[in-house]
Amino acid sequence: MKRYLRLLRIFFRTELQYELEYRLNLVLEIVQGIVVTGTSVGAILVLFSYTTVLNGWDLGAMLVLLGCFYLVQGFGELVLQPSFEKFMEHVRLGTLDFALLKPVSAQFLVTLRNFQVVQLAQMGLGAIVVVVGLSRIPNIGFAEAVGFPIALVCGFALIYALLLALSTFAFWFVRVDNLMALYWSFMDAGRFPVDVYPGWLRVTLSSAVPIGIAVTVPAKVIAGRLDPLGLGFLILGTIAAFVLASWFWRLGLRSYTGASA
Amino acid sequence: MMHSRAPVNAVIMPRMTEAVVDVRELRKTFRVSEREEGLGATLRSFVSRHRKDVNAVAGITFRIEAGEVVGFLGPNGAGKTTTLKMLSGLLHPTAGEARVLEYVPWRRENAYLKSMTLLMGNRTQLVWDIPAADSFRVLQEIYRIPEEQFRATVKELTELLELGELVHKPVRNLSLGERMKVEFAAGLIHSPRVAFLDEPTIGLDISMQSRIRRFVAEYNRRNGATILLTSHYMDDVVALCKRVIVIHRGRLLYDGPLADLAERMAPYKIITATLHDGAASSADLDAYGTVVSREEGRVTIRVDRHVAPERTARLVNDLGDRLADISVEDPPIEEVIDRVFTSEQTTVSA
Repeated sequence: MKRYLRLLRIFFRTELQYELEYRLNLVLEIVQGIVVTGTSVGAILVLFSYTTVLNGWDLGAMLVLLGCFYLVQGFGELVLQPSFEKFMEHVRLGTLDFALLKPVSAQFLVTLRNFQVVQLAQMGLGAIVVVVGLSRIPNIGFAEAVGFPIALVCGFALIYALLLALSTFAFWFVRVDNLMALYWSFMDAGRFPVDVYPGWLRVTLSSAVPIGIAVTVPAKVIAGRLDPLGLGFLILGTIAAFVLASWFWRLGLRSYTGASA
Repeated sequence: MMHSRAPVNAVIMPRMTEAVVDVRELRKTFRVSEREEGLGATLRSFVSRHRKDVNAVAGITFRIEAGEVVGFLGPNGAGKTTTLKMLSGLLHPTAGEARVLEYVPWRRENAYLKSMTLLMGNRTQLVWDIPAADSFRVLQEIYRIPEEQFRATVKELTELLELGELVHKPVRNLSLGERMKVEFAAGLIHSPRVAFLDEPTIGLDISMQSRIRRFVAEYNRRNGATILLTSHYMDDVVALCKRVIVIHRGRLLYDGPLADLAERMAPYKIITATLHDGAASSADLDAYGTVVSREEGRVTIRVDRHVAPERTARLVNDLGDRLADISVEDPPIEEVIDRVFTSEQTTVSA
């Protein structure tokens, strides 16, 4: 475990070095992050100047949700998107072989290998929005304070599991970029609580694309709107999704090592 | 015997000798779908595919001792890469057994992966955008190489490969040859005991090819690593391998000294006679053997191996003063190989 953390650190460092070479790009990305986050917060403020509650969500909870959205999205773009894109490229070019020949978990080596370090800024902005939102929520209890980070980590893991499962299709179909693009477009819907969407879309966002869960549940926890049972289901569901996705990935890998020439 | 761990196995079933690579009746059958040309056929195959089994490797057996450099030869599609992939653990065989350093490769145990490397001339494991030195650091962590050893290895490889400043430039800025050198360094950074080299000089210019060759020879000499190498360039093989294994259509055709390959596979010799003042065009030499070519006073004659001395003597005798020079040689190795692959030969083992 410690070894894997060290590896993560070194992956992160090499990518950071690379990105620091493109300073202008770095600055532009950060500015863009601020603009996007700012307008989203602005939009919510405008919305709440007409109403105090949106389908049970008040301004504080809504800001926490938006912050969670940027945290989860930022995490996805920080490591998952670059790594999974690279993974599919490896399958296409046959360079996945090199990862399979290393004495560490191939899944780890492939899916957490590449970083877009600048997305940390996005996550930082998300964290700020969460904090601002929290400051508007009175009396946060111990359970909420503990449950929130757990729910957030589950959110990260859920997104990871889903992307892992989706990208596994690359073993059989090689080109699955469109599938991934579809996923990223769904991602955007996560900036509003799943509760505000009509039934069918809510189901899609929570089950097929668990972005709804990944973002909404942590916000619900902190707003005191989720019971321990719900959180328990989230944890179990996350573990199940992770195990299942990893199993599916290994299955795909078997067909890769079983048949590639 | 298939399922015991390597060190334990070594105790239970001691081997005859210390073979580093031990391959027995190794087979790999691929199931491929085939279809005819055209949209109609494509659509039909979309619905129901015709599958066909292709024997990429059809039962080969060989052993390689520690420290050997063995050339693995065969035309495209002979099964070389498939075999290397099975030996490095990337592919599961359909049948048969293989042990490398007493490990079953396709179990991909970490201990095995740490002691071998697979280098592919047409693929790179280096990250394009960053200098190789950074990739080396990542590899150091992956292989858990102690700092001291890491520095020493990098220093040695930098020297042997004449890397100089190459490792500090982003890989994308390197030429193909430079990249291959750096690739070698990356592949050998963990000091593997066995190296599988798949076309390591492909696409390189002559001087870079010979530099890589010198490196492989020197590396083998210094570290005693066992090397199995495939190449389309016979120069690679001649320079590096005393022993060659030839496969064709998944079957082993020859396994033995490179020096004997010609004798076994091409039972003829080439007599080259240089004649004075244009006599080459007029002299009737068909009686001595098959005249292969005549150019600028030089005649090349192919004769059966066992009559070569007698024919040569006769030529010298008969031509007398008209002869300026004469040589008797084995046919060029490329020609031998080509002959092997174009004819239907049965297995010959040395």
